Amino acid sequence: MNELVFALAVNGLVWGLIIALIALGLSIIFGLLDVINVAHGDFFMLGTVGGLVVATSTGSFWLALAVVPLIGLVLGAVIERMVIRPTLRQASLTIVTTFGLSMIIQEMVRAIYGPQPRRMAAPIEGTVPLFGIDYEVYRICAAVFAALFLVAFFLFLNRTKLGTWIRAVRHDPETATTLGIPVAQVSGFTFALGTAMALLGGVIAAPITTVEFRTGVDVLPFCFMAVIIGGLGNLQGTVAAAIMLAVLEGLVTSVTEPTIARIVSLAFMSVVLLVRPHGLFAGATR
Amino acid sequence: MSAGTALSLSGVTKHFGGLTAVDGVTIDLKSRKLNAVIGPNGAGKTTLFNLICGEIPADDGRIVFNGRNLVGLKPHQIVRHGISRTLQIKSVFGGMSVADNVRIAVLTNRRIMAPFSPVQSFRGVTARANEIIEEVGLAVHYDDLASTLSYGDVALLELALALAAEPRLLLLDEPVCGMGPEETERTVATIKEISRRIDVVLIEHDMEVVFDIADFIVVMAQGAILATGTVADITADPQVQEAYLGPPEDD
Amino acid sequence: MTAAYARALAIAVLIVALLAVPFVLPAFGATFWVSIATEILIWSLLAASVNLLLGYVGLLSFGQALYFGIGMYGVALSINAWNVGFWPALAIGIVAASVMALLTGVFAVRLTWHYFAIITVVFSLIFYFAAMSMKGVTGGDDGVSFSPPPVLKLGELELTLVDATTQYYVVLGVVLACYVLTALIVNSPLGLAFKAIRENDRRAALIGINVYRTRLIAFVIAGALAGTSGALFAFFGRYASASYMFYHVSGEAVVWAIVGGAGSLLGPLFGAGALIVFRELVSTLWEHYLIAVGAITICVVMFAPRGLAGAWNDALRLAFTRIPDEPARRDAFDRRNASEGGEAAAIIEEKR
Repeated sequence: MNELVFALAVNGLVWGLIIALIALGLSIIFGLLDVINVAHGDFFMLGTVGGLVVATSTGSFWLALAVVPLIGLVLGAVIERMVIRPTLRQASLTIVTTFGLSMIIQEMVRAIYGPQPRRMAAPIEGTVPLFGIDYEVYRICAAVFAALFLVAFFLFLNRTKLGTWIRAVRHDPETATTLGIPVAQVSGFTFALGTAMALLGGVIAAPITTVEFRTGVDVLPFCFMAVIIGGLGNLQGTVAAAIMLAVLEGLVTSVTEPTIARIVSLAFMSVVLLVRPHGLFAGATR
Repeated sequence: MSAGTALSLSGVTKHFGGLTAVDGVTIDLKSRKLNAVIGPNGAGKTTLFNLICGEIPADDGRIVFNGRNLVGLKPHQIVRHGISRTLQIKSVFGGMSVADNVRIAVLTNRRIMAPFSPVQSFRGVTARANEIIEEVGLAVHYDDLASTLSYGDVALLELALALAAEPRLLLLDEPVCGMGPEETERTVATIKEISRRIDVVLIEHDMEVVFDIADFIVVMAQGAILATGTVADITADPQVQEAYLGPPEDD
Repeated sequence: MTAAYARALAIAVLIVALLAVPFVLPAFGATFWVSIATEILIWSLLAASVNLLLGYVGLLSFGQALYFGIGMYGVALSINAWNVGFWPALAIGIVAASVMALLTGVFAVRLTWHYFAIITVVFSLIFYFAAMSMKGVTGGDDGVSFSPPPVLKLGELELTLVDATTQYYVVLGVVLACYVLTALIVNSPLGLAFKAIRENDRRAALIGINVYRTRLIAFVIAGALAGTSGALFAFFGRYASASYMFYHVSGEAVVWAIVGGAGSLLGPLFGAGALIVFRELVSTLWEHYLIAVGAITICVVMFAPRGLAGAWNDALRLAFTRIPDEPARRDAFDRRNASEGGEAAAIIEEKR
């Protein structure tokens, strides 16, 4: 029994790191463009599908890991330019736009890839003994990948010029404009980056989840929970919240069903929204 | 609180992070007199109004109106108690006609929220709204959408909304800001007329206007009260001269 | 002929058309469409509940499906448990939905803008998962079925929902009653308070409106509308299912409201009608018609955010109002007929 709890907790940690990656993408989009991206979960789904397709057709998962996020970058840029930017005038209706986008993406995947859920073989097989249980090696790799990309993201944000521009525009778009920062292009890039991160999360997660057109629907609320509980302006908080929530859900699932765990997390999120809309962790700037 | 006091503040304080926007303000604003609050930009005047109206919570102090401490009350409750205000950046209900703007203010004042009777059926409300619109001089724009009004007319509409709440105290934040000379004259006359029956406190940068109509002046600087008194008192005050007085500012 | 007269005439025509549906459509061999028309009427109420909040109060709720679902279950469970009649079951469904709207609204209405939308989804998800988990009571996704009691039983005469025509007229009656009530509310002092809050909630508070309480009232009314929709749908399908509480249903209702035109009374009917007819026509030709629906949604937000009702009102204005010639009067005319392009919500200013 203890082993089961432990396994669920470690699973939670793995998922939490992956979700953190996706949630960060959501957070920068929400924070910078003020857009609730209902299609973000579907971007994750595109990543899983893309990962499966590229890996099975080329035989290399690593190629998928490299290529799919790049596709995500391009896709995000195109969507931002053609769909999001023209509808930003109706600020409160952007959620409707992304809902329409979500419909299109899900149905296109259902049409092209088919409605059947599939599983993908892990690129690294085998298990490893971990504190008394045989734990899948790939899951550990997935956690490591996610963690590495998280670190890379923060380095990018804090050490590069483009990253600084993103932080500036998020903090105060008007001042950023007067400083000469091309706000529109930065917004476009931010959306593209957020999309790419969701697709990246999808590729990493593909071997440990079912690949089908509805996968995004489940992931979306979780990402929003991480963003809200972590605090909208607080990226580190989002990461912490994602991991915390995933581990918590894993532990709660060990005593009850997954639905109850989900209800508990959602209720927790409601409380945070009502009491501390800036998130649980100190340091949220918005 | 003595008779003849419109509003009494004691020790009212507000901090924003490290900045003290309003610093222990203690003053009795006079009833039956037109009070003016003046001071350089950033002196805390508008913040003081925001505190009085309950839009931001005071950190310390009491604001007593009609025997009641207003600190802690919500804005709509303070309006119900009899204090109305206009805003520095004029804002009304843009997508509604001038008539509807004033109507909703009168309906709210009379606590009418009937869900199934048409607005038109409340003749008394329409009559009162018409009265107020006449008084501020907006009758010619009766049916026009508020978003199409000129800035000066929006200010007048704001005044109408404030009057519709049947206030006992009217706070006017830069009422003639952005107006040309003719409009300013008309508005000032209207304010003078209003001040005969309602206590008025106004924030104003236009010194000509202030010296023309104000009976009692409060000078603020850096969140605190620098001096108070009549026009003669404050123009003679060396502190005020040093901190503030220069050529009359227009807008 | 003025625009107002034309509008009244159009509404009269619409009502006559709606009344004639069960006779006219079968004459064209399209009896099946009577059923679709019934569905359109029912779903239009859910769109109307979104529309009340979005178009009139300025709040975008993405969680109205919750109250729809409660309405459904109110009917199904009360009939199965207590064998109540048609009208009592309907009432129970509506009341249950309104109570749920009150309980959730007390919290939700404290938030605005994006956070309000998010919390409405969160609440609907919580109860969706709860309903899925309480499979014994709710039947989860598969749901709970029931046999609908007769609508009217007077001695020998019995009207039941088995007859498609009776079903249509019962639904039409309830739906029209809801629209009439909504119209009364929107044109009342309460409705004017809604608009004031939508336009400028700070100013609304500063003239003495209790913004929180007024929003809550609107939220409960919207919940009642959604609950009515759900209750009717339960009778229509003879079952209740938790899957109707999921956010996709809420999202569809938002799309219908926007396409129809937020802020107009009959917009929800046209939005739901247009998209459901579209679905029926296109889905037989193309399995993946949802792609088109998604595209339509995006295009409406991009190019026609005031929806069908906005286009209709513009057409009326163009056709029926004579533009004065002298510049001064033209100015005044333009001012009277200007309408807000639309930040917070697409609104149609209904002039007297």
